[in-house]
Amino acid sequence: MAYCVNCGVKLEETLSKCPLCNTPVYPKEMFVADEKAPPYPQERGTVEKVRRTDVAILLAVLFGSTALGCGLLNLFVYRGSLWSLYVIGACAVFLIFSLPAMLYQKLPYIMMTVIDGGALLLYVAMVAVVNDGMRWYWEIAVPVIALGTFLVSVFIYIKQRASRSILFTAMLVVINIAVFCVGLNLSIRYYLDKRLAITWSAVVLVCAAIITVALITVMRSSRLREEVRRRMHI
Amino acid sequence: MSDRKQWFKLDLSGNVYPTLQRRSFSSTFRVSISLNEKIKPDILQKAFEKTLPRFPTFKAAIRKGFFWRYLEPNPNPAPMVERDVKNPCMPMNLRSKHRYLIRMYYYENQISFEVFHSLSDGLGALTFLKTVTAVYLRMQGVAVPNEEGVLDIDEEPKMSEMEDSYMKYADSKVTPKRSQGSAYRVRGTKEPFYTLNIICGSMEARQLKAAAKKHGVTITEYMNAVLIYALVENQKNAKTWKERPVRIAMPVNLRQFFPSNTLRNFITMVYPGVDPRMGDYSFEEILRQVHYYMRYYINDKFLRADITTNAQTFRSPFIRIVPLWFKDITVKQFYKRVQDCQSSAGLTNLGVIKVPKEMEPYVERFDILMGQPFSPRTNCAIVTYKDIATISFASSIIENDIERIFFRKLVQEGIEVTIQSNRD
Repeated sequence: MAYCVNCGVKLEETLSKCPLCNTPVYPKEMFVADEKAPPYPQERGTVEKVRRTDVAILLAVLFGSTALGCGLLNLFVYRGSLWSLYVIGACAVFLIFSLPAMLYQKLPYIMMTVIDGGALLLYVAMVAVVNDGMRWYWEIAVPVIALGTFLVSVFIYIKQRASRSILFTAMLVVINIAVFCVGLNLSIRYYLDKRLAITWSAVVLVCAAIITVALITVMRSSRLREEVRRRMHI
Repeated sequence: MSDRKQWFKLDLSGNVYPTLQRRSFSSTFRVSISLNEKIKPDILQKAFEKTLPRFPTFKAAIRKGFFWRYLEPNPNPAPMVERDVKNPCMPMNLRSKHRYLIRMYYYENQISFEVFHSLSDGLGALTFLKTVTAVYLRMQGVAVPNEEGVLDIDEEPKMSEMEDSYMKYADSKVTPKRSQGSAYRVRGTKEPFYTLNIICGSMEARQLKAAAKKHGVTITEYMNAVLIYALVENQKNAKTWKERPVRIAMPVNLRQFFPSNTLRNFITMVYPGVDPRMGDYSFEEILRQVHYYMRYYINDKFLRADITTNAQTFRSPFIRIVPLWFKDITVKQFYKRVQDCQSSAGLTNLGVIKVPKEMEPYVERFDILMGQPFSPRTNCAIVTYKDIATISFASSIIENDIERIFFRKLVQEGIEVTIQSNRD
């Protein structure tokens, strides 16, 4: 049985380094009993998935009946306008938002985001058709929703594959907000003046650039990163 | 047992834990027993199935009412005994298929029992584990009598074992403040979902007792002081923006002060600690502080007043008529912003475990694990059996500074510590 030279504790026979200070056992062959079963199992357990089928059915029935009820009321009682389309569309969008998350938990988040973006586009298209506003739909709604969906998907993709640190996440959020503001600004300008120009979003862009550079500097210097973590308690 | 009318209310503590439930967190803890030979899972499964009906508090499912949650008998067959995993105390799904809030594991010569805290405290879980082990040994021809916390599985469960003892004794005329103020919080890098880092130190209880006696304190006071010392040192090293008091959340077994046989929760928290803003504390001074705190607060009068504070909330007619979903939001926020913030770490000492004499030759040691902490920090649990004291730290952060300072201090004090861990 080995002792840790730093901590002074005895190490259990299967340990090849001290769990308190990571000092390796040396020489390993003399002290580490590889053939002995370790005191803790090596296999990781998995948490049982929560089944939400019942809630999904309840939601589907609830929103389905609301949509049907409003449709019938609009058809036979309050015939003034096509108001029921707003309710039916909202119910459909909500169902599309919630059902994949409950029923198909294995569906990738990016796929879910794209489906949600598509549902939102369809709903806004319906509102545009009812109000005869296809111009703002194509020139503002479509680019803004498409850009939003794209940015959320990129955010999820990078978060899943790159660092999970809070500073990196903050940087991603700042960049996404800046790009979204630029997109929003461009589409509104195009809708109003028929030309692509950046105005107020330039201020957002500059602020975001300053924050991003600061965050990259902090992330690249480990001493600075530690100091920020310590001071900010993150 | 399948009669759904035999429901019972959750006890005072038990009401809080389901509100903290999230996909990545459950208030789960574990007690383990190590025998002197490899565990036979098929026999353990039978022993588990035979024992479970004797413990209605564990053979229960949690349900949601409109105002409160409640427990009702679970008619499903006992859950399967599973091979142990590297990441114990995983979150429990309150609405799983079998609806049980307990898990039984085996690994080499160890049997582990995990419980959702709403059902029981450490003593209740330990009683169950000892009884299962006794039944397991009996099935292999060892004659184990029903004594020293081993219950007779052929007798009917007693009502006194299922009572909510809090309500029985919460009758103080004055109540202390709920909040102790914010304490120093250990911050660290969160481990990915779902990892529980364990560092366990075992030592001779004789040496531990001698070290505590040398300072004129009990083992619990001594352990608290060492943990506070580790936290104070850690705060110093971290050079925090603003120093805060260092406080330990320590559950006290109320059965020592109020006669009760309950197998459900019957604990309350005390918060020994020091305030480094007043100046540097030496280890001796911390020991004195903890010693006098314990002597002053741990008595039936203070503890009765403490449980009355919580009981008053549950008795209030205004709070009783508030819907459950609103209670959930409020309790969770209160726990997050007040309760969880007022301690720097948790420490529990289950004391010296005794088993029937006939069982002793087959039992090597006991272990206890406080489970995943609600916020990223470390929790410490101590248990002693014969001459082996085990101190298990469970944390969900990568850093292990507290554990390192803690065990190094014990070594400095002349205690020989053997370390084992599930860390890679």
